[in-house]
Amino acid sequence: MFRFDPYSPAVDADPFPFYRTLRDEHPCFWSEEANMWVLSRYDDIVTALNDWETYSSASGNLMDEMPNRAGNTLGTTDPPRHDRLRGIVQFAFTRKAVEGLVDPVRASANRALDAVSGERSFDFVADFSSKVTVDVLFGLFNLPRENERMIRDKAVLMVQSDPRTRQKGPEHLAAFQWMSDYARQLVELRKREPGDDLITALIQAEVNGEKLADREVQMTITTLIMAGIESLSGFLTMFALNLADHADARRRLAADPALIPDAIEESLRFNTSAQRFRRCLRRDVTLHGQTLREGDFVCLAYGAGNRDERRFANADVYDIGRKPKGHLGFGGGVHACLGTAFARLASRVAFEEFLTRVPEFRRVQEQLPWMPSTTFRSPIRLDLAVA
Amino acid sequence: MAKVTFIEHDGAELVVDIPTGWTVMQGAVQNGVAGIEGECGGSCACATCHCYVDEAFLDGLPAPGETEDEMLGCTASERRANSRLSCQIRVTDALDGLVVRLPEAQS
Repeated sequence: MFRFDPYSPAVDADPFPFYRTLRDEHPCFWSEEANMWVLSRYDDIVTALNDWETYSSASGNLMDEMPNRAGNTLGTTDPPRHDRLRGIVQFAFTRKAVEGLVDPVRASANRALDAVSGERSFDFVADFSSKVTVDVLFGLFNLPRENERMIRDKAVLMVQSDPRTRQKGPEHLAAFQWMSDYARQLVELRKREPGDDLITALIQAEVNGEKLADREVQMTITTLIMAGIESLSGFLTMFALNLADHADARRRLAADPALIPDAIEESLRFNTSAQRFRRCLRRDVTLHGQTLREGDFVCLAYGAGNRDERRFANADVYDIGRKPKGHLGFGGGVHACLGTAFARLASRVAFEEFLTRVPEFRRVQEQLPWMPSTTFRSPIRLDLAVA
Repeated sequence: MAKVTFIEHDGAELVVDIPTGWTVMQGAVQNGVAGIEGECGGSCACATCHCYVDEAFLDGLPAPGETEDEMLGCTASERRANSRLSCQIRVTDALDGLVVRLPEAQS
């Protein structure tokens, strides 16, 4: 009998064969291990994303939610409150607002590349993607330059879960707690010393004439740090992996960097790190002959929708010329990723520099160590050998 | 389900069936309408799904929200009285026959 266990290391390593079976044979599947329904076809996911009244985020959006987070962040609030909160945060993430990051990202990428210059091999995660991501995010949020490595480690740890107990382990919850405390201290700091930055804006913002609760500011900051660091470095790592595995695509990009934006879109479709999020049903739904009950959780498997042949021809082929409009790499609907403009810009600039200085590289490890996570997927180490 | 006609800036027309509950933007990107980009995924954050709604349907649509109104100030092509972001137009049966015209540029 087919099973889909998002806690299983086999799913971390390669979810795509499971996704195919889900799409073709069980488009509306009850996963006992996850204790929720799984939607895997592109059309079903888009329909759910557009119907927040039915598919609510207010009970949490991560596959394994963290304590006291639901209801206090953008991703775990429904409209209309969500829309007002998002209106406040969004100004910091419009395309115009992030344009100023081109030079800082370029400089940061070059510092990281200087440090491995002359090495025969290096770990793309520790030596490049983490460094650049943390560096740029600290600039974006104007965070005090201390504890950078620690913050990155905690951000990566807090999104993981324990494959044996099928829940978050003490170390993951402790990382979340650490990040929450860090965010609380940032909020206190900005209350004492307001600045021209996002945290100050959140503190001072009013929604319906009401200031945000400290808890909401704190959890929103926690989430933005988590998403900014973990998701962006996870994506950069998956992009590097794709270019290591597809030498032809890599050479085309190195020869013509103007193709990098298209390759980023294809990587977002093909295997971006944000694989699965969840919703909670606010009413009964009948789908593919199944009855889903109010209160049931539903996994939206973006990674599966992105490989749906009903939507993308030859979906399992990595084709940088595809231009996969409408992919689910950033989710969709009212909760679509807040940081799309930032992520696209940072990825483009980072790889313009990377491919200029490291045009030829290959994978060293045959088996990659995958992060144990029900929501995100990326290797925790990616050794690259430089030609 | 509603039939929606997209008229590109160069005059090319494409008629698309869009399921109820989807947004006009999603119907467009799903069906290869070139003049809609939808860069932000439908969260009303990029103004790259800008369209001009046919006057006959304009009054039948819910008015733009505050965020949409703000984002309409950031469109690459001229904002007109019938400008909308297509990610904010959710398809209902009443929109069957909707005609939208697409601007010269989205970004």
